[in-house]
Amino acid sequence: MADVDITSQTMDGMGPHGTRVGLLRVLGPAHVWALGVGIVLVGEYMGWNFAVGKGGAYAALIACWFAGLLYTCVAMIDSEVTSTVASAGGQYTQAKHIIGPLMAFNVGLYLVFAYTMLEAANAITAGYLFSVVASMTGHAAELDQRPFIILVIMFLAWLNYRGVLATLTFNLVITAIAFGAIIILFLSTSGILGGGIMDHAALFEGHELPYGWIGVLAAMHFGLWYYLGIEGTTQAAEEVRSPARALPFGTLAGIMTLLIAATLTWYVCSGILPWEYLGDGVDGAVAPLFDAARLSGSTGLVWLLGFGTLFATLASANGCINDASRACFAMGRDKYLPGWFGAVHPRHRTPYRAIIFLVPIALIFALGAPLDQVITFSILSGLLGYTFMPLNIILFRRKWPLETIKRGYEHPFHPIPAITLLTLCGITFFAVFLGYGTQLVAMIGFYIVVSLWFHFWRYRFVNRGAQFTMPWPKPRGY
Amino acid sequence: MRAHYRPPQQGKISQLIDVIVLVVLTIGALFVPLWLNMAGAAKSVAQPIENPTWEALGQTPAQAAKYEALGHTPQTAHDLILARFDYSFPVGALVTMIAVILLYYFLLLRFSEAEYRDVIAEKFGE
Amino acid sequence: MDLWNWLEYGAWGLSALLALYMLVDWLRTDSTYPEDVLTSSREGEIEALAEQHKAREAHHG
Repeated sequence: MADVDITSQTMDGMGPHGTRVGLLRVLGPAHVWALGVGIVLVGEYMGWNFAVGKGGAYAALIACWFAGLLYTCVAMIDSEVTSTVASAGGQYTQAKHIIGPLMAFNVGLYLVFAYTMLEAANAITAGYLFSVVASMTGHAAELDQRPFIILVIMFLAWLNYRGVLATLTFNLVITAIAFGAIIILFLSTSGILGGGIMDHAALFEGHELPYGWIGVLAAMHFGLWYYLGIEGTTQAAEEVRSPARALPFGTLAGIMTLLIAATLTWYVCSGILPWEYLGDGVDGAVAPLFDAARLSGSTGLVWLLGFGTLFATLASANGCINDASRACFAMGRDKYLPGWFGAVHPRHRTPYRAIIFLVPIALIFALGAPLDQVITFSILSGLLGYTFMPLNIILFRRKWPLETIKRGYEHPFHPIPAITLLTLCGITFFAVFLGYGTQLVAMIGFYIVVSLWFHFWRYRFVNRGAQFTMPWPKPRGY
Repeated sequence: MRAHYRPPQQGKISQLIDVIVLVVLTIGALFVPLWLNMAGAAKSVAQPIENPTWEALGQTPAQAAKYEALGHTPQTAHDLILARFDYSFPVGALVTMIAVILLYYFLLLRFSEAEYRDVIAEKFGE
Repeated sequence: MDLWNWLEYGAWGLSALLALYMLVDWLRTDSTYPEDVLTSSREGEIEALAEQHKAREAHHG
């Protein structure tokens, strides 16, 4: 082992021919934060306001906080499991070790879909932004959005292809700017700096709960959009320098950032925009924070929030490519998907085939499907993933009680967070059912079909015992 | 301890077919509801108002001022303001959804458990 | 033809260029390295390696 160095690109002493090509451990906690918050923050710039449309402004706030509670449970549970199961693939690898192969296959697909659909939604939004800027700067004809949508996806795929450190450092910078823009908008419209233009009381008058309490339930559907994707931090597990510390830290700091950003966003937008306009994300407020800035009358704020919106969509699409490709890669490595996906680029150290494969898939969705449809599919895949988490943690604690494995982070009050999370997921299934029941059934029908396909066909290619890679003792009860 | 399971090597063509199957199923799940026109929560205007004014649309002067700042008139804002979701649903649909979800999770946990016992048996020995 | 028309063409062109880069690099990588090197990454192994590396660092430092 004398002339072998694991950081060497050519001779790290592992694998055939003396080389083992794996992902590089180069990331710190700030990158984890940027990956988590970067994916999600776009939810504050667009999409969350469909919750206002489903139940009114107060309903959106209640949904914001209940969804915040849901995601706090998600973050706590996820932090505990992932501080122990630190591997690319995140929840997929957790499921494989704790519940079983078919569950893992499904969870892996949830991840790939939730992120690829979200990536498509981001590209659509970025294309729309370009068309708005074009008409604001005096472009007479309708802008062709397609080249810009394609460019966003190509550029970010290229960035991901070239290496993870540059990708997530880029994310850190643009996410910080987008988050700062929300804070500045809040400070300058609320009356803290200069004159305020908030008028909550007058705007809510007569429209407190337009659908009554069922609207509050229905709003939970898009309430998830404030936070969707924060669980993606775990995908970086094979690329962080010290996963047991950085992952819980980055994830929990991320959820706190998002709770602040979500509440501020609701406060600013609902105090400036009437609820019917705010709640219609197609014909009304496509980018609500940007609209709020336009009504503030300040050109500086309009530009700031314009760039904030663009950066948020880029950061999110970027993180999505990162996460979807890691999940796809991890599944290929275990032969859950064809082994071809399990390749790592020898120089850039990225799962390059998974990245390339997902480009045309994202393009099909971005160019071929309407935005709310794409968002709903993303939310549904996410929701199925959150329903898996409480089952996961309950079984984890039962099969390996606290004293059997050392955890980097132990979440408090078990099993209360798990039960809370399961209850909130049930409520959200009902919320999605109100209005989007067909998609829900189509989606679950899809997962039933692929589950059968996996169990009866695909699983024969998987190495049974070797896929369990954690150095854990035998689980209790087996 | 029984013999370890040796998975067969999968050929290039077979790998390709598997990927195509998955992609077709995915795109099917997304686009079939769209083609059947069953997707999208349709918001609709129950009672249109002819010659709308801000008062008739239920807007206070403060709310009307915001709409005007956004570049709307009562005519252009008519659909935006009056469109509503319909949250009434047949109980049968709810029961179907619950049944489908439960079936899915039952299937998932049942098969996973069977496969998992295999994995543990091979990894830790019988 | 105003600025935005040029930008549209620019976006098409740049997209094609990036796609071409990835395509060429992908095919070149696949033909340069044998398949078992490219797919030699294994889950979990990296854990052991990182710790070994740390120990070596401590030893040197």
